[in-house]
Amino acid sequence: MSDFTMTIAVSLLLLAPLLAGGLSLLLSSSRWLHVTNLTSIGTLVAAEVMIARSVLGQGSLTAFGEIIYIDALSSVILFIIGTVGLACSLYMRSYMDEQVARGVIAPKRLNLFFFLFHMFLLTMVVATVANSLGVQWVAIEATTLTTTFLIAFWRRRESLEAGWKYLILCSVGISLALFGVVLMYYSSLRVLGDVSSALNITQLQQVASQLDPHILKLAFVFLFVGYGTKVGLVPMHSWLPDAYTEAPAPVAAMLAGVLETVAVYAILRCRGIVDQAVPPAFTGGLLAFFGLVSFALAAFFILLQHNYKRLFAYSSIEHMGLAMVGFGIGGPIGNFGGLFHLVNHAFAKSLAFFAAGNIHRRFKSVEIDEVHGLTTVLPWSALALLIAGLALATLPPFALFSSEMQIITALGSSGLPGEWTQPGTRFPIVVLLLCSLVAFGGLLYRIAGMVWGVAPKDIVPGEQWSVGHVPIILLGAVLVGFCWALPPPLQQLFEAASTLLVNW
Amino acid sequence: MPLMTPPIGSQLVDLGSALLLLTCFAIVAQRRLSACVDLFALQSVFLALTATLVAFLTGIHHIYIAATLTIVIKAIVIPRILKKVIERLNVSRELVMHINVPASLLICGVLVMIAFLITQPIIPFGHLLTRDSLAIALAIVLIGFFTMIARQKAVTQMIAFLVMENGLFLGATAATYGMPLIVELGVFFDVLVAALIAGIYTNRLQDTFDSVDTAHLSELKE
Repeated sequence: MSDFTMTIAVSLLLLAPLLAGGLSLLLSSSRWLHVTNLTSIGTLVAAEVMIARSVLGQGSLTAFGEIIYIDALSSVILFIIGTVGLACSLYMRSYMDEQVARGVIAPKRLNLFFFLFHMFLLTMVVATVANSLGVQWVAIEATTLTTTFLIAFWRRRESLEAGWKYLILCSVGISLALFGVVLMYYSSLRVLGDVSSALNITQLQQVASQLDPHILKLAFVFLFVGYGTKVGLVPMHSWLPDAYTEAPAPVAAMLAGVLETVAVYAILRCRGIVDQAVPPAFTGGLLAFFGLVSFALAAFFILLQHNYKRLFAYSSIEHMGLAMVGFGIGGPIGNFGGLFHLVNHAFAKSLAFFAAGNIHRRFKSVEIDEVHGLTTVLPWSALALLIAGLALATLPPFALFSSEMQIITALGSSGLPGEWTQPGTRFPIVVLLLCSLVAFGGLLYRIAGMVWGVAPKDIVPGEQWSVGHVPIILLGAVLVGFCWALPPPLQQLFEAASTLLVNW
Repeated sequence: MPLMTPPIGSQLVDLGSALLLLTCFAIVAQRRLSACVDLFALQSVFLALTATLVAFLTGIHHIYIAATLTIVIKAIVIPRILKKVIERLNVSRELVMHINVPASLLICGVLVMIAFLITQPIIPFGHLLTRDSLAIALAIVLIGFFTMIARQKAVTQMIAFLVMENGLFLGATAATYGMPLIVELGVFFDVLVAALIAGIYTNRLQDTFDSVDTAHLSELKE
């Protein structure tokens, strides 16, 4: 494909959410809002497919005078943004309309919702395709600003609280990451001179080995803490359960599935530069250590939850921790496993939140103790919840099982990186397996109680077919299918991306 | 770039950075919210002056743009927004503090030392005229971080966030002669929007909780 087609594809990627966001403020009927939304996200996915094909064929590409840089890794992240975004858009068709019909929100506020949703998409796309680490920072901070009102969208006391907490914690965390970016620039200035491209990934990668290791180490610590807050790694996770509980279901799905992934991507990008000057055990050790701690703590918090949305929130922390362990160990298996786990988690978590949204609307409660007998009340959602729950508990016929196995294999064969563990020690793998057993038990126990049992008398049984069921069925099918076989183009893309992660 | 490094210029930049740090301590010690806002505006003016000085000494022109934006956004627009927010509130003082003023000041002193300690290994690598400012910038960021934890009012937390941002900007200007212009513009945009959003939040919190004390925000617990 020529450069010209690529320029068009990249412009579509950025223009689709921008234009749709602008249109959302002008349109008045809900039907047209949804049409705009679906058209925009459809365009986004089409552009992504074109870009991914070109990246697979001809390697990484830059556009608009090196402002945009896309390689296999960014294509994988774009793939997650597009697919989860599309699923959410389909789900929103029934979800948001019902909220308007029930009078939870005024019809006019739909405009604001869609505007913020598109800006959220746009900022994530920019964060993924930006060549400059500084622009990437600006875009990630902008995701915080666009999502805080989406989280507080219902304007209840609790949602305002969750939104404020999210705004403050994430802004502060991200500020620390900016200090990391400043330090990165400080180190590259000495090699590249004062040029505005001294923060560009394409430039930094060429000179990375000449950068000063002391400065890079310090920079990476700040970047890791900052973006780690956004990923929700322990101990910077306290905003996450509140935000996921209070956000509307499709927003929670986007936060859990996509935003966390973009933040992980930002960490990986910086790591790719730091690793060339500093021994990889330094960054790998940090990633694996905090990943393992998050995994272990979240597994125990899963046991304590009485609220099914919080349950899924802690399971997010757990799985992000696991993916971090994978990236931390590195190597072909660890990186592929981590990347594959990110994708699978994005699908499973959106499925879980779609089911949770349906249940919440019917039962008017997020307490696990008040939800029983889903098989009779909402059979389709019950099935979705069961599939999502089993997948998140990493049981065999689901894709998360295979990615977790890859990460555990990598851990078993290479051990944890860093100086703080003896090579060949079995301790981390025992911790990992025990904690996944705890999480498995906690998730299944809670979900089984919700799916089976006798439904409360005042709940109307029966589930009407709606557009919102299409993404639920598709996601369920994908979760089962990815365990057995990846479609060849996707597999090539993931392999190209993990090769990139292994040797930058 | 014409890299003049007269010792007097370097010392002036250090003086500017020190003034920024001093206003930080003043903000920590101040209980009245509107005075905190004034102090933040003053700090932004110092920041703009320091940036102008750096721009003059190094001859890098885009720092002038950043300095002008600092004056317009951080010394005029954001303080105005915050003042409006405070006017609407029924409280003008920080009444309950987790940590009292003398203890806070002591902790901030320790934070400054920590900042110098952390940056010690990398400062000798800077051949730039303003390398000590990196340590001061980190100190300001840490103090902002601490203020955010130690104070409860939504407005104070917002000011603490802005102070952190000032520290970062000082780091970016003094240690690296400014970030690429596109990044700097983006950062200004983000800060402005963050301040606007925080303003909207404080209004809603006021309406819903009848208070902007974030201690009331405790319904979401394990």
